[in-house]
Amino acid sequence: MTSVLDLSHVSYRLDGHAILQGLTLRTDARRIGIVGRNGSGKSTLARALTGLLAIEGRLRVAGVDVVHDRRAAIGAVGLLFQNPDHQIIFPTVAEELQFGLGQQGVAPAEAGRRVAEMLARFGCAEWGPRPVNDLSHGQKQLVCLMAILAMGPRVIILDEPFSGLDIPTRMRLARRLDALDAALVHISHDPADLRNCDHVVWLDQGRIAAEGGPDVLGQYEAEMRRIGARDA
Amino acid sequence: MERDLTLIAMFAALIAALGLIPQVTLAFGVPVTAQTLGVMLAGTVLGAKRGALAALLFMALVLLGLPLLSGGRGGLGVLAGPTVGFFVGFPVAAFATGWITERLWRLPMGLAAGIASVLGGIVVLYVCGITGMSIILDRGWLEAAALSTAFVPGDVIKAVLAGMITTILYRARPRSVVSRG
Amino acid sequence: MLALTSPVRTRAHGWPAGAKLGALGLATLGLFALESLLGQTLAALVVLGLFLAPGRVFAAAGLRRLRALWPFVAVLLVWNGIEGDLREGAILSLRLLSAVGAATLVTMTTRLDDMIAVIRRLAAPLRRFGVSTRPLELGMALVLRFAPALAARGTQLASAWRARSARRPSWRIVVPLAITALDDADHVADALRARGGLIDEGRPNGT
Repeated sequence: MTSVLDLSHVSYRLDGHAILQGLTLRTDARRIGIVGRNGSGKSTLARALTGLLAIEGRLRVAGVDVVHDRRAAIGAVGLLFQNPDHQIIFPTVAEELQFGLGQQGVAPAEAGRRVAEMLARFGCAEWGPRPVNDLSHGQKQLVCLMAILAMGPRVIILDEPFSGLDIPTRMRLARRLDALDAALVHISHDPADLRNCDHVVWLDQGRIAAEGGPDVLGQYEAEMRRIGARDA
Repeated sequence: MERDLTLIAMFAALIAALGLIPQVTLAFGVPVTAQTLGVMLAGTVLGAKRGALAALLFMALVLLGLPLLSGGRGGLGVLAGPTVGFFVGFPVAAFATGWITERLWRLPMGLAAGIASVLGGIVVLYVCGITGMSIILDRGWLEAAALSTAFVPGDVIKAVLAGMITTILYRARPRSVVSRG
Repeated sequence: MLALTSPVRTRAHGWPAGAKLGALGLATLGLFALESLLGQTLAALVVLGLFLAPGRVFAAAGLRRLRALWPFVAVLLVWNGIEGDLREGAILSLRLLSAVGAATLVTMTTRLDDMIAVIRRLAAPLRRFGVSTRPLELGMALVLRFAPALAARGTQLASAWRARSARRPSWRIVVPLAITALDDADHVADALRARGGLIDEGRPNGT
């Protein structure tokens, strides 16, 4: 069986700054958590795992070389952006969902059918023609998730998906994510978001500070509280 | 490649948004819509080719029937109206502004952008606009020019602003100001 | 986004968009060739009749769109009147009103989707020569998506300004608005590439 994540000496620099530094990581876990402070390189790692960055080192997600084999990558890994407004490309919900299927070579009629199915599955069958700008933040987040799920990825990267959501919306999204068959890589600064993860990676200044079971979250939180108790 | 497309589309959207938001008051209390400021910025920030494409994309959507021209105007009627030259001149002006900005790379960003905005966003745009007006109204070029002069002071202010804004953008997002890439 | 399509549905909505555009082109050419005052008057009456045919709501919405023309009509009549050729001023004014009016009629009775379909059909021959029309289609969709979003952001910035100032918002709000546009361009480029982008042939899309 291929690993969900397989990174070997992955580094990324931007304008001379090292943002990711020699990450080596291999795991078969279905629920992976990546925790770290703001600026620790979490969002960059999310983009790297989706194959969007020209990284150094070797990177495979679900067995696919996502950087170089873009065609296979879009079927293997999906990215849920932190801000749905950054992710949604099209003016209406149906177009947004249909886009990815078209990119995968699905014929328009079949794509339209699958979009309708996906909307029905999440109980929003009548959303298709709605303009995206009229949706609430939580509804936009759901559109993003459906757009990714429509493409049938084996791994979904979640970049702080709960930020800005109220408690009921957050609980609903969490339940929907828990029910997914795809492997999840959940990125967050908040250890509470990652309680269900079976493998946790603590990222600090572009490096892996610790890695292991959910107990890593306890270490992380203790350290964060220690830092927060001091004045900057 | 994708970034070229999204930059072009975002500036087309910016030109539209600047015509839609409530009027902003420029210096001396002259209220004008900022739409031509958007055309100038498309040139100074994106350069000749991408800037012209952004203005063309904006034009296409106006003609298709979206109320994106300042004052909520749009549709095919624009092409038969007296201001057709200004409208058709948008991509030409953005191209000229971008072309001049690119040629003046030795000058400080703001100065280059300001000069380019005056030449491209005012001189070139008015040549197009006045020509269109003289055809539609069947008047001599100078007579049509006289009808348009009322807007020149506002546009000079916009050109100065375009220079200042481009400087700030160049400092804040150097990698996005692709006219200096 | 709110389009300039008519508030009431007319029979003309069902006519093929291509035919309407073709007819508009011919009508406009005809108007510019027509030099007689009687002809221009008749043409203007026909256009007026078309505005009135679908009812008062349609006519009111349509004629409001021609408001921007009145100052020019006034200039034409006064200017030509002073020069003693009121007839010429009347011809030019009627032609202007009829041509813009006819074009407005087509815009009001043609849905945005139908217009885009015409563009797509016109661009089809390009595809045969290997020119991709994909960027154009994506570009139009992106503007439809982001023009209202940016306008909303502009309004938001204006209220943030007014909340702390007695003066009207100045040009300064254009800076954060443009920065939003530049940053959104980066994010959306990522979103596009995450789902295959424009070209997906084994190329690392580094920024």
